[in-house]
Amino acid sequence: MRAFLALLAATLRQLLGGRRIIPLALMGLLPAVVVVALLAQERTAVGAREVFHDAPVTIMFFIVLPVASLVFGAGALGDERRDGTLSFILLRPLPRSLLAAAKLLGAWLATLAVVGVGAACMSVVLGLRFSDWGTLGPLLLAVALSSLSYVSVFLVLGYLTQRAVLIGLVYAFIWESGMTTAVTSLATVSLMRIGLGAYAGLVPASRVYLTDILGAVQPGADGAVAKALVIAVLAVASVAGLLRYRDVA
Amino acid sequence: MTTPSPSWVADPTIEVRAVSKWFGQKVAVSDLTCSFGPGVTGLLGPNGAGKTTLLRMVVGLLSPSDGTVTVMGRDPRHSPEVYRSLSMVPEEDAVYGFQTARQFVGYAAVLAGAGPGSVERAIATVSLGDAADRAISGFSKGMRQRAKVAAALVNDGPVLVLDEPLNGTDPVQRAHLIATFRRLGAEGRTVVVSSHVLAEVERLADRVLAIVDGKLAAAGDVAAIRRAMTDIPYRVRLEAAEPRRLAAALLESGVVESVTVRGHILTVETADLTGLGRSLPPLARSLGTRLSLFEPEDLSLESVFRYLVRGR
Repeated sequence: MRAFLALLAATLRQLLGGRRIIPLALMGLLPAVVVVALLAQERTAVGAREVFHDAPVTIMFFIVLPVASLVFGAGALGDERRDGTLSFILLRPLPRSLLAAAKLLGAWLATLAVVGVGAACMSVVLGLRFSDWGTLGPLLLAVALSSLSYVSVFLVLGYLTQRAVLIGLVYAFIWESGMTTAVTSLATVSLMRIGLGAYAGLVPASRVYLTDILGAVQPGADGAVAKALVIAVLAVASVAGLLRYRDVA
Repeated sequence: MTTPSPSWVADPTIEVRAVSKWFGQKVAVSDLTCSFGPGVTGLLGPNGAGKTTLLRMVVGLLSPSDGTVTVMGRDPRHSPEVYRSLSMVPEEDAVYGFQTARQFVGYAAVLAGAGPGSVERAIATVSLGDAADRAISGFSKGMRQRAKVAAALVNDGPVLVLDEPLNGTDPVQRAHLIATFRRLGAEGRTVVVSSHVLAEVERLADRVLAIVDGKLAAAGDVAAIRRAMTDIPYRVRLEAAEPRRLAAALLESGVVESVTVRGHILTVETADLTGLGRSLPPLARSLGTRLSLFEPEDLSLESVFRYLVRGR
């Protein structure tokens, strides 16, 4: 347990300690800033809800969340490999699954530090302005589930290739934002929509605003949690296998 | 395996059997068999000879394309537990710049499950106490090397693999680290040190494995390696009162292949150093000349290494 916590702490420090955290943190707050700007002109709670689920949610799930997940997910092991420190952690008497799990948890928590704070700020602005606090918990769960799914995939990608960021951006913006939106049936294999599905399940009033984005995804939190956890477990198993069998040049 | 070969030791802790490693078309290590046991073994070879590839296979960072590697009877690729006994100082700068040296060594200790006091002991061993609370990002190359060595020493294991550990260290640090490695070897640990700096290996190791182009070129102590080069003549400097008469007698005896005379100094080349040593005193006596110097000129690793590289 001590080793796991030490790995987790070092991963968080590695991911959050660099200069990249500043632009990422500012990006994380962008949806909240947009909420503030848009709600300034709104007079009714119904209108505020519509505004809230329009641009801010889109910015959070289509831009902020995938980018933050990509940077932290791909960096968790990719940075170690780039900096030559991967051998440092591999040459320790630790199960590879423990290394993979600590890296995944570290990357996920780092991502949550950006998107979780951003999502919380969005909902707090809505709550303070219109006393509507119903989005806070569901939105935090939604970003947690989507970022866990994204980080899991990007963790594997970051270990497999040095071009993880480029490939990840193509994936996030061409596949997730483009293809799965354009083709409704593909929405069920969208990582971003795992969280949005959970959100729509917990905030029924939001479905009317999110129908186009959700496509064929059935709203519901339980299924979304299970899906995200399965993806995370598969990612840990994959990375553990890679750490065990892949050469570290 | 009990092959009576200089590349194999009697009580091996690391066994490398018929190991090859290739990256695409490039063969980095070719059918290499050797073992390492207690004491310091130097792995010598020019850059690109395959030393790092071999060491990375030994510690399990690379898998052999062919052959097997075991450390204390286990395959490090599939037994992370072996890292309780095995530590490595990699060639690359495997340090976290945001940590202090103490945090770095402490991190290694926690991951290795090392006991209390191990961090301070390791830091003291490499004499990094004064700088232990400074960020590694501000360290010189030599200090980073020492931090890496401390991190490797923290689990106090019986097997230590060091890939070019003296790179970037100043002469004082180098002398200190060499003394440390020799002490660890003398304590019964298996210490494997790679270097392309011949003088370092000569000072460090009792036993040397020379690798050239991914193949084992020679093994043994420095003198044994030199003796193995039977096709290469030894050069010996002699000083005699009557050098020309001695030169003629030596050539006539057939024990030397060539003689160069400069002043009172003769430089002879012979394939039979023992024979020369045996025949020289009676020859000098019979000529009534006095020998004041008998010095094998090239019994240094530098010359052995030159021969090895030149011969390929």
